[in-house]
Amino acid sequence: MTKSSALIFGFNKYAIEILKNVKNEYDYVKIYSINEEDIQNDEYEISHFDLSDNWQEMEDEIDIENSIAFCILEDTAENIFLTISLRASYENLSIIAIASHKENANKLLMAGANKVIPLVETTADIITNMLENPISNSVLHDILYEKSDLKIAQIKIGKDSHFQDEELANINWSHYQGIIVLSVMHQDMSSEFIYSSKAKRHIITEGDVLVVVGYETDIKEFEKKIGSNRYVNWSNWSW
Amino acid sequence: MIKSLIVDGAYFLQTSKGYQARKQFFKNLLENNKYRYKKYVDIFMIMLIFVSVGVLIREVKYPIHDYMFYFNSYIISIIFFIEYLLRFWIHSSVSKIIVDRAEHDSFLSREVNLLKAFKKILKVKFSYMFSVSAIIDLLAIMPFFHELRLLRLFILFRVFKLFRYANSFQTLASVLATKKFEFFTLAIFASVVIFVSSVLIYVMEANNPSSPINTLFEAVYWSIVTISTVGYGDVVPISYEGRVVAIVVIIAGIAVLAFTTSLVVSAFTEKLDEIREIKTVEDITKLKNFYLVCGYEDVAQDVVHKLSKHHKNIIILDDNLERVAKAKKDGFTALNYPPGQLESYKKLHINIEKQVKAILCLYENDVDNVYTALTVRSLSKEVFLLSLLMENSNRKKLEFTGINKIVYPQELIGLVTRELIGQPVAFEIIHELRSETSNVKITELAITQRIIENFVNVGELGNEAYRVVLLGIHKKSTKRFYFNPIADTLLENGDFLLVIGYNVFIKEFEQHLHTKVRND
Repeated sequence: MTKSSALIFGFNKYAIEILKNVKNEYDYVKIYSINEEDIQNDEYEISHFDLSDNWQEMEDEIDIENSIAFCILEDTAENIFLTISLRASYENLSIIAIASHKENANKLLMAGANKVIPLVETTADIITNMLENPISNSVLHDILYEKSDLKIAQIKIGKDSHFQDEELANINWSHYQGIIVLSVMHQDMSSEFIYSSKAKRHIITEGDVLVVVGYETDIKEFEKKIGSNRYVNWSNWSW
Repeated sequence: MIKSLIVDGAYFLQTSKGYQARKQFFKNLLENNKYRYKKYVDIFMIMLIFVSVGVLIREVKYPIHDYMFYFNSYIISIIFFIEYLLRFWIHSSVSKIIVDRAEHDSFLSREVNLLKAFKKILKVKFSYMFSVSAIIDLLAIMPFFHELRLLRLFILFRVFKLFRYANSFQTLASVLATKKFEFFTLAIFASVVIFVSSVLIYVMEANNPSSPINTLFEAVYWSIVTISTVGYGDVVPISYEGRVVAIVVIIAGIAVLAFTTSLVVSAFTEKLDEIREIKTVEDITKLKNFYLVCGYEDVAQDVVHKLSKHHKNIIILDDNLERVAKAKKDGFTALNYPPGQLESYKKLHINIEKQVKAILCLYENDVDNVYTALTVRSLSKEVFLLSLLMENSNRKKLEFTGINKIVYPQELIGLVTRELIGQPVAFEIIHELRSETSNVKITELAITQRIIENFVNVGELGNEAYRVVLLGIHKKSTKRFYFNPIADTLLENGDFLLVIGYNVFIKEFEQHLHTKVRND
């Protein structure tokens, strides 16, 4: 199910970057600020919110359950409080939160965020990878940020797929030129690396998801060959 | 004629690269603590000294073999003599003095006055010969004339040579030298007390037939033994007056001892940080291929921890004392040098281009990063520079300084968010592969000449048998990444394989690449 609106809680430099990157993905994107002065901002349309748990006004405007929320308040305690009150009110709302450190990231996860981006760790990871694994870093970066045609996709095994009931280890992947299968995700969303001993004995059933790397055309070809379709389910994240 | 020969000879030596290089080599070998081979010379000389003293002790009561005797008397003496001559040679440059004099005189359109040059040479060389360490060196050669029995005792002077070779002795001397004035005052005080008490005790006791103090020497001996609080008790005053003097000397002795102890302790406490810093800088000078991290704030701390897991050498510079203390507490080498000042890099005695792998400006403040980057660029145009950018409006300033890679966390967060909502699976997997804690990793394996000798193309690698996924190959020749290469793809020296798998299997695969011997 695709979410239709994005709500950004907090008006700061992160809000602007997030807005820039997500505005084309959603029908409705709005920034909410806890400071009343921000409403006067000429450049961006900003609404005011407080932590009083009164979301009625917002509910009148949008379908909150069918939205994605970005909790990016700079005060960690307030951000956790906001996350917890959003989760308490809306079970299906997808919440992405920003944390300064891993310690706060864990608290935000406990507060009900689906995904937390720890700022310091993410930046440090990227710097370390740039320095120590420049080639893999650039390849992965290109895949992620669509700078190359190489893609990572997930293919769901359908009812009619001829892979069904086959043991993963018995499949000759070399038949599928241009595709590398990285892992298999089970129906319970747990994922196994293709060469793990557990994955080797795994018998493919309907609903399993194969994670593959390849060029767009090869992925399409692969989908046709195995009789399955690409599948995007981003509401079930595991960190 | 002779004069011009001497001047020409001096010019020749001054401009001869071979001669100067040899002189510099010996200078490094004998005097430059940062020269990597000096420590071997030091260890060799220390061993000779111990052998020499060992032989001296042994021959007091037991006969020694002739070869040992000759080794001790001649070989060691000759080695020490050569060392003495080398030190005499490298101490100052005769040719330089002559050339300087010749240039000075010709500049003033005068005839070259070699006499003045010779005077200066004598002065400089004598100043070396009469230095304490040179005298000790010379005396240590004396056992060569072993027929003169007394001269054999000069072997003990070889022990003094230890001061030259053990850095800690020099450090001790330099620490104590900082309290020169205090020690001098103490010595004057102790001397006055010893002198006065010796005279007094002599006057009080010398005429008493039952007193053991009969001479002035015995009086001085008693004073020193008492003031040092040793108090052997072999010589004691017996008269009432003498004992009063003893009370005064004993009290003065306690004061002298307490003062001396506190002086030594305070000298060490004050210099301890400096001594540690000198040691750290010496260690850094010898390091190769290390990361220089400027600033130790949040992101820097995480980067340093992550890089240290890759067993990389890291040096941290920060102008904030608390952050330097934190870095040291975290177990890293850190110096309280401002990274934005040229002086800091001069103090480190490093060749930035040869020794530093990359310089990371990780202050969470663009002003400091720009300042640091400019300083580094003024020293080296080549070294890889990475910097954090906190405000996008400052990007141009950072670019202007010549930074190779700019990391802007806000932008990263924006991109990460987009990928998170657009390609959640790719994001998950790539995050997992990049993460330090994940079991499955993506790794780069370098193709070396040895690997090429055993594996000609990608098809021969056999990565599947090691449960390793070969994602692709980065070709050095085209500087391009080839995803999922066909089996016939040739391997070349300098290529990189990008593999995904469990760490342990990747290691096994890497070992297989390096150890396989081709069976044709």
